Amino acid sequence: MTTLTATIPLAKSKAGQRLRRRFLIGRLLSYAALVIAVLLVLFPIYWMIITSLKLPREIYRVPSLWPKTFTLDNYEKILSDGQFLIAIRNSLIVSFTVTIISVIISSFAAYSMVRFRYRFRGFVGRLILFAYLTPGSLLFIPLSIIMAQLRLGNSLFGLIMVYLTFSLPLSTWLLQGYFKGVPREVEEQGLIDGLSRIGVLFRIVLPLSAPGIAAVAIFTFTGAWNELLLALVLITSESQRTAPLALNYLITSDVLPWGPLMAGAVISSLPLMILYFVAQRFMVAGLADGSVKG
Amino acid sequence: MSLAVDPSTRPSRRRRLPTGVRAKLFAYALVAPVVLLIIGLVAYPFFFAIYVSFTDQVVGSVGKFIGFANFVYLSKSATFTAAIWNTVIIVLVSDGLKLLIGLGLALLVHQAIPGRGIFRSFLMLPWAMPAFVAFLTWRVLYQPIGGGINLVLTGTGIYPHVVDWLGQRQTAMGSVIAASVWRGFPFWFISILAALQSVPKDLYEAAHIDGANAWRRFWVVTVPGIRQVVIVTTLLSSIWTANGFEHVWLLTAGGPSDATMVFPVLAYFGMQTQRVGEAAAVSVAMLPILAILVIFATSLMMRDED
Repeated sequence: MTTLTATIPLAKSKAGQRLRRRFLIGRLLSYAALVIAVLLVLFPIYWMIITSLKLPREIYRVPSLWPKTFTLDNYEKILSDGQFLIAIRNSLIVSFTVTIISVIISSFAAYSMVRFRYRFRGFVGRLILFAYLTPGSLLFIPLSIIMAQLRLGNSLFGLIMVYLTFSLPLSTWLLQGYFKGVPREVEEQGLIDGLSRIGVLFRIVLPLSAPGIAAVAIFTFTGAWNELLLALVLITSESQRTAPLALNYLITSDVLPWGPLMAGAVISSLPLMILYFVAQRFMVAGLADGSVKG
Repeated sequence: MSLAVDPSTRPSRRRRLPTGVRAKLFAYALVAPVVLLIIGLVAYPFFFAIYVSFTDQVVGSVGKFIGFANFVYLSKSATFTAAIWNTVIIVLVSDGLKLLIGLGLALLVHQAIPGRGIFRSFLMLPWAMPAFVAFLTWRVLYQPIGGGINLVLTGTGIYPHVVDWLGQRQTAMGSVIAASVWRGFPFWFISILAALQSVPKDLYEAAHIDGANAWRRFWVVTVPGIRQVVIVTTLLSSIWTANGFEHVWLLTAGGPSDATMVFPVLAYFGMQTQRVGEAAAVSVAMLPILAILVIFATSLMMRDED
């Protein structure tokens, strides 16, 4: 609202001064509110990092906002037995595979739905949206039974399969939005120049939608990286655990090792945090276009 | 695919399919993998879940059809009733708060003030954090010993007593909601901010010339400009919050004594105790409400498309 006030020429009249004071107070209040919000956002993140760097006695016995001694013991503890590293590796395998599969076959589907007119197009669009909104809290039960029947339970391959349930609809839905932005004339020119239909997709549409594809890839990766419920019901052996699963089992044990737990939390959020800071521009555009689950 | 074909043996134009049909076949071929996978991995399991909820299936047996017995059993279960109420409360309160906070912060950042980009980046951080990391961190924050919240409250004298936030009935639900708002508001904030930026500036100027004050301009220009986005965000966020598992599971696992039990956690407990039929019935019982939200959201999002 202050934008408007700012555009009004401020005469040195009494009214002008009053306006100016109101403008300054508005600014001040805005900044105060924003700073408080940022502090509330940062405090948990600060606590996660600081707890991961504390000695046990500074976590439990003499808790403080700023530890006297910083230590990497917690990181050593969680990384030393190798299980957590295996979990991180499993998470990377699953997330990368899901992302690659989804981006490829979803771009085919999205391109088909954006560029071609056919009878079931509306139905397919609706099916994809319904699939996107069908909750995992309903699907995890039948999926765990089906995967067990297919003998794919307790395997990373099975996990990749079930993660397609949320990644495919999301990627297809988002990519449709990006492909619509590619002008039809450019594609027609490509056809005239002798490209095949599939050539148009690979040489023209996909390169022109690169920022969108990057955003979709990050969202898909994040979705797979963060998933907990399906992993909980599907994975039973320690060697197949993903990162969220490994941390989940840390808190179901009797002693709650806050230090190593927060070290694991920092390690498993670092890649995503960096990714988001680097690619924020794409992410915001993608979010605005397709309403992406957080 | 592209075998070198001698021109003389190439099929004549007349024997090839007309281009319209070929384009259609190509279109179907492109869309087929996604459609087949969605039918196999979403549609079939969806109906399978409904079927299972009418059986007494346990792990290792197929189970037989028992009609509505699971639902009758659930309706008499105090835990199930608690789960329904808690789910409703969490959705209403936390999404209401997310809307207010997201809208308020979006309006603040939308102003032409120096540093708005930095504020925006910081305010998005909880969304960039994996949900499991966020809720594990909040679990530590809430601890009586080693938790940051008690430390700040007692240290500053705001509240001098150490509170076991997650361990007692009176505070557990509020604590779960606070953590879920922290993690969930950035989605609202960014959605609303994007909508605000798409409201044409001259509408504000026109309203200003017509003598509308800031409050009036908000209602006649801003609100209609962002209404659609707010409605879609409300529907999506409600669906996700209602089906959220991590926030409750990692903070309280539904406790203490069902004070924060929600239906996804209850369904998971059902699966853990291997009573598949009952577990499925818990989720299926929520389906009517969710279906209304999903159908409403889908039709709005499809309308946006066209």
